[in-house]
Amino acid sequence: MKAAFIILLFALSLPLGLFAAEDLHADSHISASADVEHTESVEPTEGGGVISELAGNFGISWPTLIAQMVNFCIVAFVLYKFAVKPISATLDERQQKIADGLQYAEEMKVQLAAAERERAEKIKEAAVAAQAILAESREQSKEMIEQKTQEAAAQAEAIIRKASEATELERQKMLSDVRQEVARLVVATSATVLSRDLSDAEKQTFSDSAAKELSSAGN
Amino acid sequence: MKRDQKITKLAKKLVELSMDNGVVTESKVAEVLAGFQQVQHRHHLAILKAFLNYLRREVALQTAVVSTPVGLSGDALSAIEVQFSKLYNRPVNVVTQPDTSLIAGVRVRVGDDVYDASVAGRLQRLAESVN
Repeated sequence: MKAAFIILLFALSLPLGLFAAEDLHADSHISASADVEHTESVEPTEGGGVISELAGNFGISWPTLIAQMVNFCIVAFVLYKFAVKPISATLDERQQKIADGLQYAEEMKVQLAAAERERAEKIKEAAVAAQAILAESREQSKEMIEQKTQEAAAQAEAIIRKASEATELERQKMLSDVRQEVARLVVATSATVLSRDLSDAEKQTFSDSAAKELSSAGN
Repeated sequence: MKRDQKITKLAKKLVELSMDNGVVTESKVAEVLAGFQQVQHRHHLAILKAFLNYLRREVALQTAVVSTPVGLSGDALSAIEVQFSKLYNRPVNVVTQPDTSLIAGVRVRVGDDVYDASVAGRLQRLAESVN
């Protein structure tokens, strides 16, 4: 930046110098036409006056040229010190900020891509895990349904078996009651009939035989 | 508890003293009671109660109660007495008891043992066998 500015100033100084030289040449030409007679009368100096002659031909006045160059340097220095330098610093700072922003943007882009990849991987893993959980839940529910079905069937069988057993027990009890009642009636009837129909002699005979039976039972 | 054990032991001893050749006799019981009266034991009432219970049990073991709706012949009663004396290995007295509910036949009870040869008993066993 500084080099470019210096080159620019140098390029600008050349026209200024040429302009100053042209003005000087015009002045010198006027003075020369005025002094023609004088120069014609005066013999040119021989030897070391070649440079002065050239400068005269180009219209360069050394003191004016030097003064203008000094002025130009002062102006250039002031411009460089109070205008170019802060502008350059500001430009450099802005350029640095832009570079930093671009770098930050690049980093952010990389990070965003990484985050995007990570998010995609996470989503993929979550989807896989969800599928696994779903499959496991389905399997468990299937097993549970099967188990509950078997339990219900077993319970139904147990209930049916208990009901049949209860029915059978009830039937057996009824049969037993009937048998008991029939036996009781038979015994009661037999006892009544025997008490009424057996004579005392028959009872005596039976009792004696029973006594003999008891007597002979221990032998 | 210790007092009851002593009373029981003493009552059993009195029952043993009341026996004559393994048979409880009235005379022996009278002697035991007379002797016990002379001793004047401190728990005489409880001892006498226990003695009475054991004495009843012993008499029941020595008695065959023959229940029958009609009277049995003397031979039949003698046969029963001989048979049960032999069976229990001690003298058993026979006591008859009328019982018309037996219809016909005999039922003999010695202590807690019952020997039934009656018509009512057979009918009852028949009814039980049906069940």
